[in-house]
Amino acid sequence: MTGRPILAIDTSGTRALVALGRPDGTLIDERRWQAGYRHGEELLTRTDELLTSNKVALAELGGIVVGTGPGAFTGMRVGIATAKALAHGLDIPIAGVATSEALLAAAREVAGTWKSAPASPSRVAALLLPAGPSDRVLVLGGVATLLRGGEEPQLDAAILLVAVDLPDRAPAEALALGVQAEHGLSAALLRLGAARIAAGGEDVARLVPEYVTLPRGITAVKGEVRWSHDRH
Amino acid sequence: MTRGGLILAVESSCDETGIAIVEDGSRICSNVVASQVAMHAAAGGIVPEVAARAHLRWIVPVLDEAWAAAGVTWDDISAVAVTEGPGLAGSLLVGINFAKTLAYVHAKPLVPVNHLEGHLYAAWLADETRDEPEPIFPLVALIVSGGHTFLVEMRDHLQYKLLGETVDDAAGEAFDKVGRLLGLPYPGGPEIMKAAAGAVRHDVTFPRAWLGDSFDFSFSGLKTAARRTIATETGGEGTAAGESPLSVDRVAELADGFQESVVDVLVTKTIRAARAAGARSVVLGGGVAANSVLRDRLAAAAEAAGMPLVVPRPGLCTDNGAMIGAAATRRFEAGVRAGLDLDAKPSLPLARR
Ligand SMILES: [Zn+2]
Repeated sequence: MTGRPILAIDTSGTRALVALGRPDGTLIDERRWQAGYRHGEELLTRTDELLTSNKVALAELGGIVVGTGPGAFTGMRVGIATAKALAHGLDIPIAGVATSEALLAAAREVAGTWKSAPASPSRVAALLLPAGPSDRVLVLGGVATLLRGGEEPQLDAAILLVAVDLPDRAPAEALALGVQAEHGLSAALLRLGAARIAAGGEDVARLVPEYVTLPRGITAVKGEVRWSHDRH
Repeated sequence: MTRGGLILAVESSCDETGIAIVEDGSRICSNVVASQVAMHAAAGGIVPEVAARAHLRWIVPVLDEAWAAAGVTWDDISAVAVTEGPGLAGSLLVGINFAKTLAYVHAKPLVPVNHLEGHLYAAWLADETRDEPEPIFPLVALIVSGGHTFLVEMRDHLQYKLLGETVDDAAGEAFDKVGRLLGLPYPGGPEIMKAAAGAVRHDVTFPRAWLGDSFDFSFSGLKTAARRTIATETGGEGTAAGESPLSVDRVAELADGFQESVVDVLVTKTIRAARAAGARSVVLGGGVAANSVLRDRLAAAAEAAGMPLVVPRPGLCTDNGAMIGAAATRRFEAGVRAGLDLDAKPSLPLARR
């Protein structure tokens, strides 16, 4: 293996993952677990165990890839805060990859070889994700739309629907494709992130997650923070 | 220069992102705070989701500034400290996961700190701009902020006995709510103080909730009384920020009457509790301790009772990393450590009765 390995983290769903990849983005090994809403308790210990069992020292890492959602508040905060401290602490580049983009890339790959939903990798796909107990969010062409309650997505029949983390709340075929997409998530994150890391990554300070939804009435953040220093 | 006991401390429990480097629990090497007040002013209060996102946005620049200002290396740092609670869950999560990953990457011990303990230990931060002594044990401390109002007794480091606390609103919350009723901008605390300073007459009197001999506090009755008075005087119109139907003079008088009521109760109960505990000093902390009327009144009353008042300068009363570093130093020396599984504790108590 030439070059330094990269680490990918995604905590956008109730399942979390940490994955180790080669500099070209191919998957070496991964750890996945059911995190619920307590992603922070296990993320570092799982990361440490993954690195140790693959005999990779922290200092050998060449970049951090982090899934930026959309996802639930708790997980996004944990994953991005951890990824930022890893990249900053190790002084290596960071790349944020939309989890939705990685899931759709993974789904397209399996859809090409899938019997009941024959599709080419270039076929347009849309992603359906949970947004709380009754709402769902639809991601199509990079745009996320909130579907309240039982509202159904209005989609052209040619569009491949991929449903993730929505047991009993989406068509069976979309759910089956979602399961496959989740299996391929680590590989897709690494593949998409590796190219961005090779290009130098992005500003670690500016990286913030995409949430599934903001509270009603809150549309945008106005104003700036005020800084204060004191030195003695 | 020899550096012993340098602690890097991270605070993100509410809407200030603070990182500091503190030496020996008292000397501030650097203390940087990114405050979201301007961001939340538009919403008239803190929006938790916006707060957590802003912490994520600003935590790296705050660390960079604190690091550059202190001029230290990781070899100089003995531990990383972080607020584990109480506070907003989403905000706490950002600081906790950031801090514990820094500790992991740099192989440093991780020290969890109670945010309220941080407000107490702000009193130990040395500062050339003030000449007060260090707090002397036993002491009684009044911590008063937007989320908390309580009296605690300390007979030694890290030992807390709760003497009393608010049974409803925190004092700072009452300031915010009454400020809004008076048409003053958010946050209400500093605005009410500013308005009250302009009062010419001091004849507005609001009720005081003494709750018998208890050291507990209650501010909801005062808030209701203020709302009724303001509604009567404005003809029940209600007020939007910046467009009160009340004259500037009347707003000043009402603000003064409200502030007097809060300060009177806080000062009277604190001195009574300090006497009962046989305290040798009194400590004041928390965001509302930036109020100069409260500071001056409590200082005078404590001095009259033969106990010096120790109160950090206003910049160290509001949330910051240095106070977490000061508390963390004592905890670090006492062997308190957290593992990499540290999680947010939004309703972590400081002490029991
Ligand atoms: Zn506070």
